[in-house]
Amino acid sequence: MTWIGAIRRAGRIVEPAPSAPSDRMAPPAGVTGSLQLRHVDCGSCNGCEIEIAGAFSAVYDAERFGARLVASPRHADGILATGVVTRNMHDPLLNTLAAVPQPRVVIAVGDCAVDGGVFRDGYGVVGSVADVVPVDVEVPGCPPTPAQIVAALRSVTGR
Amino acid sequence: MSTTAGRGALVSGGSTTAVGAAGLVLGLSSIFGGGVHLRIGWLLPLVGVRFDVDPLGGLLIALTGAVAVVVGVYAVGYARHEHWSVLTLVLLPTFVAAMILVPAAGTVTTFLLCWELMAAASLALVLADHRRAAVRSAGIVYAVMTQLGFVAILVALVVLSAAGGADDFATLATRGGAVASGTRTAVFLLTVIGFGSKAGLLPLHAWLPRAHPEAPSPVSALMSASMVTMGIYGIIRIDLQILGPGPTWWGLTLMAVGAMSAVFGVLQASVATDLKRLLAYSTTENMGLVTVALGAAALLSASGAPTIAAIAITAALVHLVGHAAFKALGFLAAGSVLASSGLRDLDRLGGLVRSMPVTTAMFGISALGASGLPLGAGFVGEWLLLQSLIHAPTQGDPMVALAMPLAVGAVALTTGVGIATMVKAFGVGFLARPRSTQAADAHEMSRGMAVGMGLAAASAAVLAVAPGVLGPVVQRVLAVLPAVGGDTAGPHLGAMLRLPGIPGSMSPGVIAVALVLAVIVAVGLGRWGRSRRPAPADVPLWACGADELSPRMQYTATSYAEPLQRVFDDVLRPDTDIEVSHFAESRYLIAKVTYRNRVEDPIERGLYAPVVRAVGAVAERVRRAHNGSVHLYLAYGALGLLVVLLVVR
Repeated sequence: MTWIGAIRRAGRIVEPAPSAPSDRMAPPAGVTGSLQLRHVDCGSCNGCEIEIAGAFSAVYDAERFGARLVASPRHADGILATGVVTRNMHDPLLNTLAAVPQPRVVIAVGDCAVDGGVFRDGYGVVGSVADVVPVDVEVPGCPPTPAQIVAALRSVTGR
Repeated sequence: MSTTAGRGALVSGGSTTAVGAAGLVLGLSSIFGGGVHLRIGWLLPLVGVRFDVDPLGGLLIALTGAVAVVVGVYAVGYARHEHWSVLTLVLLPTFVAAMILVPAAGTVTTFLLCWELMAAASLALVLADHRRAAVRSAGIVYAVMTQLGFVAILVALVVLSAAGGADDFATLATRGGAVASGTRTAVFLLTVIGFGSKAGLLPLHAWLPRAHPEAPSPVSALMSASMVTMGIYGIIRIDLQILGPGPTWWGLTLMAVGAMSAVFGVLQASVATDLKRLLAYSTTENMGLVTVALGAAALLSASGAPTIAAIAITAALVHLVGHAAFKALGFLAAGSVLASSGLRDLDRLGGLVRSMPVTTAMFGISALGASGLPLGAGFVGEWLLLQSLIHAPTQGDPMVALAMPLAVGAVALTTGVGIATMVKAFGVGFLARPRSTQAADAHEMSRGMAVGMGLAAASAAVLAVAPGVLGPVVQRVLAVLPAVGGDTAGPHLGAMLRLPGIPGSMSPGVIAVALVLAVIVAVGLGRWGRSRRPAPADVPLWACGADELSPRMQYTATSYAEPLQRVFDDVLRPDTDIEVSHFAESRYLIAKVTYRNRVEDPIERGLYAPVVRAVGAVAERVRRAHNGSVHLYLAYGALGLLVVLLVVR
């Protein structure tokens, strides 16, 4: 039983939970303590994706605070948008948001998503996420650390 | 032109219906009245023609007549639309009449005459659209196989009547047991080959998935619902009634052939993308199930369990009738689709539920029957068959103990794959969105065709919900089959199906009522729940971020069957090619990927191809003797005469 041994050897690797962030937004109606998110890469360099993967990894474990990534926007309470909105991803972003049931939250992760970042004036760029859809929570950083992402998610889940 | 064609279609369809109605009356009157006997001495030299209709023949005649009534009504509209030639119009009622005469035949010679009439008429009907190469090729395959089958039947029946010392079936039935065992074995094997090829049983099924799709749809319906059952009739008449009860291995042989046909047929149907080919393979499957039932009846009566044997033979008869109802309906619905859209390819159909709602409903009823689910016309027969197999007493016979569980497994596998097949045919072909412009432009055909399908659907529904209507018929037929437990009480087919000596009982009527109540309750609860929730919102379909779903994104028949094809790789032997072409600049830039998938009949490839090659090689040798020189032919004639003179000297 090598996998049981591996679990025993690894032990508990999760970071201790920091105290809940004080500035929290009102969670969308019907969502109490649990937030299902659909991730949309609007044109990211994949730096933010790596940090999001870190935020949902065994070490930062965003799921213990009620946030969870899902595969379909139909199952989601909101979207987690990364990167500048490129021309190719403009319509898919709108389609994805339209597929998320209301009420819903939009979380923009990373400088590009917040204000365009270093790609702001690129020829293939429409703008930041906020230029296209209303954004509820912004996570600055290029890329933001997993701890920052987890803190932003906790400000929505309230846990 | 059109009025002439219309009148011809009306006369042809009308006379087909009339012949069918006459057959129905004749069949029912010979089941419930006394037998019908007719002798026409002048028609055939020396022996004359004699018809004796007993309840078994009456059942087949009534079945053929009922199918012909439906097909005749349907054919009026279909023949007008397709502009059938005069020959085809004349042959349709002729074919029906020939099929009605086959089970009526009372002597070996009459039987062979009617059988050949039926084969020739059906062959000419298959070739109705002979301008297409596929039709001609199917016609040749059908002609060769049906004539080879006829040779087997001819030899078998001639040997039988010589050994029995009589020409008529009634006398032969009394002397059948006294025939020498070697002769009986030879007759049994030859009749199983001959009648099996007509019933589409393995390995002589190859004509069926070729001829049925290429024939005009009303003819396909007649062939699949009626003509193949004549093969089963031959097996019952000769092997079970006249020669039976036979040794144990007869039953085992029939069961093995039937089980292989059922499993192979349904597997081929599951991967077929041609709607009519799928239905044709489903015919092989269902005739396989009927043959399993016949084999089980023969085996059980040989091993001393006549009560259960009677259940098995009842299963065969009930399934034969049910299959005729749902398969005729299926081919007629497929014919409507074909006439309206010109398509048989499921991968290009779809969306017919909106443009052809009546035909869709009809095919749905047929598919429910073919999948063997409760409230389908095929359910009762399969249920009876499974009951007889599961409850078969082994009587200490290891062969019975071994064969029955294997047969249960084969029937279960067949039914399971059959459901997937019919879900595919109905879901891909009729639901979803149209996959081609032809399918999108489809429209409902004439009212006469809808009436024809409606009649078939009504009889399928009656057989599914109230199989008790068959009770008195089956009882009379069982009475003439003493060799397979016909002299026992037999199962009770009423509102409740009760089986003698078995605790099982079942009532399709109660299931139907329960289902209707459940649907009413579910709809009511849904309405009530909706009134309590906020009004639903309309949102666009989720297409993974793309703007809209296209019909190309849907499941096709090929993609739906792909997992099955993968699982049954060893049996189906699919032929899959992937071709990747690159740009000249780099091997990493792909220009085009071509995926080709073809499922051929492995039996055709493995068994038929070598035989055809060998015949070709021999013919090539023989051809050398025919060089076209008249002198040489005269020499052959002189030589032949010389040999004859020497021999008879």
